[in-house]
Amino acid sequence: MSDTSLRRAKRLARALDASELHQMHDVLIIYNGMVVTLTAAFMSLTQDKIIRSFHARAFLEQLSSVPLPPVSGFFTSVGAFLLLALLGWLYREGKMMPTMRYACLTAEIFVCIVLLRSFDLAYDGVVLLVVADLLHRYSGRHQLVVLTCAMLGLYAIVDYNAMFFEHQVTPFDVYTSYYAPSARSWIHLMHTGLASFNLILFVFYLTLLIRQNHQEKQRIASLNAQLEEANTRLRAYAIEAESMAETRERNRLAREIHDTLGHALTGIAAGLDATALLVDLAPDKAKEQLVKIKETALRGLKDVRRSVKKLRPDDLEHLPLRQAIANMVEEFASSTGMKIDFEVLEWPERLRPDQEEVLYRVVQEGMTNARRHGHAKHLEITIGAKRGAIYLLLADDGEGADIAELEKGFGLRHMQERLALLHGKLRYWSDSGFTLEAILPENEEASNFL
Amino acid sequence: MSGKRRLRSPFALLLLVAYAFVFFSLYLMEPCAIELRVGTFAGSNWDVPQGESYAYLDHVIARFEAEHPGVKVTYQSGIRKSDYTEWLAGRELAGEMPDVFLIPQDDFNLYAGLGALLPLDALAKKDDAFALDDFYPAPLAFGRSADDAALYALPAECVPRLMFVNRTLLDREGIPMPQDDWTWDDFLAICQKVTRDTDGDGRLDQFGAYGYNWQDAAVTSGAELFREDGKASYFTDERIESAVRFANALHQLQRNQVVQERDFDIGHVAFRPFNFAAYRTYKPYPWRIKKATDFEWDCIRLPRGPEGRNTSPVQTLLMGISAKTKERQLAWEFLKAYCHDRENQTLLLSLSAALPTRRGIIEEAAPQELFGAEASGRTGRSPLAVSQVIEEGTVPYRFPRYVAAMRLADQEIQKLIDSDALEVNSMNRIQKEINDLLLK
Repeated sequence: MSDTSLRRAKRLARALDASELHQMHDVLIIYNGMVVTLTAAFMSLTQDKIIRSFHARAFLEQLSSVPLPPVSGFFTSVGAFLLLALLGWLYREGKMMPTMRYACLTAEIFVCIVLLRSFDLAYDGVVLLVVADLLHRYSGRHQLVVLTCAMLGLYAIVDYNAMFFEHQVTPFDVYTSYYAPSARSWIHLMHTGLASFNLILFVFYLTLLIRQNHQEKQRIASLNAQLEEANTRLRAYAIEAESMAETRERNRLAREIHDTLGHALTGIAAGLDATALLVDLAPDKAKEQLVKIKETALRGLKDVRRSVKKLRPDDLEHLPLRQAIANMVEEFASSTGMKIDFEVLEWPERLRPDQEEVLYRVVQEGMTNARRHGHAKHLEITIGAKRGAIYLLLADDGEGADIAELEKGFGLRHMQERLALLHGKLRYWSDSGFTLEAILPENEEASNFL
Repeated sequence: MSGKRRLRSPFALLLLVAYAFVFFSLYLMEPCAIELRVGTFAGSNWDVPQGESYAYLDHVIARFEAEHPGVKVTYQSGIRKSDYTEWLAGRELAGEMPDVFLIPQDDFNLYAGLGALLPLDALAKKDDAFALDDFYPAPLAFGRSADDAALYALPAECVPRLMFVNRTLLDREGIPMPQDDWTWDDFLAICQKVTRDTDGDGRLDQFGAYGYNWQDAAVTSGAELFREDGKASYFTDERIESAVRFANALHQLQRNQVVQERDFDIGHVAFRPFNFAAYRTYKPYPWRIKKATDFEWDCIRLPRGPEGRNTSPVQTLLMGISAKTKERQLAWEFLKAYCHDRENQTLLLSLSAALPTRRGIIEEAAPQELFGAEASGRTGRSPLAVSQVIEEGTVPYRFPRYVAAMRLADQEIQKLIDSDALEVNSMNRIQKEINDLLLK
């Protein structure tokens, strides 16, 4: 109870943080928009005043390039800023391909340069806006490299321009020099004040961003710990469930044998006892009795077959073996991502259900081993029949195994036992990957030749 | 009802769009006149009176418009030369720069440095009907920027600085008219001879020269004042020093009396350097009455120093194309028509006091046209000689601080001359000051 409420509180705090960051970003954009508009308006109006008051020649002499005309200069600056804000928004919020996002960012940087140029670097706070965008979203593989390069680039642009104007009065000073000294100092005060405040806002934004990143990291760490714990629990449960299923299956088998085979054998034993008595006294009766016993035995056999059938895998029960193996292989390949080729050189005719089951099991176990122990990427399964023998070959490209250590586990012994029951053989070796070969006689006669 | 109305509105919209499309395409197909704006000023660039300020421009425009149908060339009239610089700067700042405009000599470096002028080299190279060699070298050199040597303007008209001679005075004194290859010594000797008190009141009333300054002497001394890139000056050069000493000697002849312009006008001064536009303006009627009324005058080259040549500084009026023009090719065509077209430039001779900058026009002009109707006969000058003066004119310095450096040098050297205080190391001091300014 207290755990969930704590988690809810944490989530709420995180959402609050994210929205705070968003709001701070919005504040940064709105503030910069205000300053850009103000600066552009001031410069445009001053330029217009200079033209009207016939100071153009003296004004031009102080510049190193011709500024844009008053009206279009103003609209270029404001327009470029709006475009910058839009691109920034797209970059931060837009759901698009990474390449598109980088294009967006590049465009943003380009527009930023246009904007800086449009008012002769009188206000360079917008650079911080671009940097804020950069920091906000980018999280690709070479994050640090790209970020560093982009920031260095921006810095170089600004600094290069600053250097370019080093020996001259900055253009903004040329604009202010038109006014009377008292007004000039006020304008300067405002200009530097606006730029400094922008810096403060940016630092505040950075603080929020760093805090959010820090909390995010903590959250991920705690989630990882939780996940690890759940995994451990799950593993224990899986082991328990497996042993439980085994026990249940054993019980069912015992019951099944008791119910079917036991019943029939008991009946047969009792019937035989009776027949032993009858065989001398009434041979005809005894014969009748024997027929009945045979019927009981047949019924018992039928029951056993039914029980065995119940133990067979589903696919094998209602599909031909070839289809069942193909299905299983496809399913396994798609679920594990392993590449499996299933090739049939010659399909053996008339397979008995027990043979089918063994083949099916060997394929199943072999695939699992290749995946689990060999970490193979590619597995080739080949089935063929030649001179009364059925061959099954599984060759993977995995890590292989130490044959000496193999003997005990990996279900190999189990496979071996199953095959031995049908007079078959199992061979395996490890060279480039692990190869498993199962050979099964088609019938009793063939087993003599193996 | 409402269904019908709903059905009708898309049709109305479609109709509206169709109408709009038709009107718009008609509007686009209408051949709208291309406007080419020209920046010019009223009056002559050479500070001489000029009757019809826009006569030459109007003529060029009329021909240009006839050759380029659909093009309208406009200019704002009534801008005085003194206001033109500010007007031009205002247009530049307002983004309304004329496509083609005359560039005052002092403004060339400013606009070239600001990137406001279209570089012309590519256009010139592409144009088969145009060759830079058609221009005299000195006027053309004005149109090149000092730092990157790109051509930013073409010379529209030029005037050389020549020595005006009061022939009546020389005749009276029995002095033969000096020839074009005369020297400082000849000049000084004549000045010495004519400088005297004619009415016996104890004051000098007849002088050798008015307005001849140390710069005229420096130009003809054969020495360079500055290094080409404007980073160093050569004021300590012996030839410069001798030029200053020569100017000082001329000054000393006047015995501290100041010669006025009026003294020349009333015929009491033998020599006066003048630009050729003034000569062409004042020589013929009606302006003749305003100046020298009762003496014959003529012009010859400036005298040369011992190691120099009889060269003349050439002043040039430039014309350029705005870097922001939308009609680049058309502007180039107009610039060519104004500065380069042979027929137009020939007409410049009769419509303006200045001289054409294209070679081969002055030589073919009739002497009357060049020197004025009354100048024929006695004058020994030929059109070819005038062309030769421009051809050999000194190429100007174009580095950005030239004007400031020259102002400082003139101030310092004139002070030395006026106070006769020329000493051994005075030029060293001046050179140091100038170099400090150049390297600042």
